[in-house]
Amino acid sequence: MHTSSKLTKEFTKKWVKGLQICCSSKKDMDVLERKKKIKLCADIALASAKNATTSWSIALISEAKKNDENEILVDNLLGPESRFKQQKIIRQMNSCHKRVRSKKILKKSCSISQRMKKMGPPKSNLAAYIAKRLVKKRTQVLQRLVPGGESMDEFSLIKEALDYILSLRVQVDVMRNLANATEVLNQSNSSNVFD
Amino acid sequence: MNPGFMQQQEAFFSVNDHHHLQDMFTLGMVDKDSALNIVKPDPEMEECWVGFDAGAYGGQLGYGYLNQNTALKVSNIHGNASSVLVSPKKRKADKGQTLQVVSEKEKKIKGCCDRDSKLTRQNSNGNNNSNGNNHNKEASTKATSKDKPKVSEDQKKDYIHVRARRGQATDSHSLAERVRREKISERMKYLQDLVPGCNKIIGKAGMLDEIINYVQSLQKQVEFLSMKLASVNPELDFNMDNTFTKEMFDSSTSEFPALACSSANSAYFDQLNSLDQVVSYRGLDMGINSAEMGLRSISSPISIPETFMDSSFFNQTATWDADLQNLYKMEFEQGRLIPFQSHQFTGKVNWKKKTAI
Repeated sequence: MHTSSKLTKEFTKKWVKGLQICCSSKKDMDVLERKKKIKLCADIALASAKNATTSWSIALISEAKKNDENEILVDNLLGPESRFKQQKIIRQMNSCHKRVRSKKILKKSCSISQRMKKMGPPKSNLAAYIAKRLVKKRTQVLQRLVPGGESMDEFSLIKEALDYILSLRVQVDVMRNLANATEVLNQSNSSNVFD
Repeated sequence: MNPGFMQQQEAFFSVNDHHHLQDMFTLGMVDKDSALNIVKPDPEMEECWVGFDAGAYGGQLGYGYLNQNTALKVSNIHGNASSVLVSPKKRKADKGQTLQVVSEKEKKIKGCCDRDSKLTRQNSNGNNNSNGNNHNKEASTKATSKDKPKVSEDQKKDYIHVRARRGQATDSHSLAERVRREKISERMKYLQDLVPGCNKIIGKAGMLDEIINYVQSLQKQVEFLSMKLASVNPELDFNMDNTFTKEMFDSSTSEFPALACSSANSAYFDQLNSLDQVVSYRGLDMGINSAEMGLRSISSPISIPETFMDSSFFNQTATWDADLQNLYKMEFEQGRLIPFQSHQFTGKVNWKKKTAI
């Protein structure tokens, strides 16, 4: 619980800061744009609160950086001390991309050869084959869900997913508290108006 | 035995839910006799199963742990059976599969439970088949004195040979795989504590399913909440005090009693809190889609100047349905009203007046 409360504080600070930054720039935004900004700020804040310790946070930050207009936001949120870490991030992402590419090639070649092999003794292998396929499909889905999951093997994927779940929970809690708070404030103020 | 077996199989055909199957099987495995009944294909296999069973449940490792893998395999078999093999013609194939279940189980067990004793027994029995997948384990096996099933090995000769050739040719490979599998199952256990509702599900595929669902629902919750925040505030100016933010994370949900001092709001708070518990993440999942669609139809939410809403409107919406469309309507209306009340905001949260409406 200690770590989660710490994470909560970090996340909240960074999120508020990020919102102040990104919304001071533009004035007119419709709901969907605002929503995107809020979510983006929340995501980046969450990832940076992790201080680049986990690879999903690294992946999230690098993805956000690809969009040019987010770069200022990201830099501000990450803070000055993480300049050193940014290089580490870049290096990791490059290696991840290479891994992804090579893994994709491997997968294609493997799947074809496996398919040919498995056609041989279908009945004897069927049970194990189906079990493996179930697990495989689900790990693929999980890889798509967790940011940066494409380049992870099964074991680290689970570890990252664990961490990601924890942080998502923190994010949801903070956002929900804020939303409730603003609602209550609005309601109280509107009721004050009517009184 | 066979008709009885088929009946049981058909009973399982009707159960389509994968998790259901696993549940059933874990329950079934508790009872030794029923466990045998579930997968016994024919009488000559009985011996093999008995022997296997004695070895499996001989209290070598955590009972539940063994259950995990056996349940997985068995349920996968039957999952397969329900989807693929329906006609009696394919009973033979099914028998073959259940034979493979035994070998699969043995492999899994030896992999995950560090029980190579069985396999040394198989080796000592002099079966050619076992050599294929067992000799690589010999290095790290501990000899115990349990009886091992023999019958299965003869019939699965080809199967095991194939497997040995393909995957586990050397010692180091199999050891590494075993270590890897142990690590994964350890992580899975930790995940069980983390993800709600995972205590009953044992088995990798089901666990992964739950994890996926949970991650998806959390992500959707984030989207929903950001949409809610976006609609509540016409601008995203959060000029918050430090004290404001501190209060936010010092107490979990009721962090604004200091700010929202009216007693009417406390009732509102209670409703909000109860709503959070009531709306489980799955319910939220389904509600979000309908609500988002409802919101997208609202084109220009804030720019319309509007006079005051009736106070009864707010009382009405304060009764919080689980219907999220109401939520969006209320946010929408409140969003319209904010520009008129911004000057009335006292306290620690300062909302800037909306300049460009």
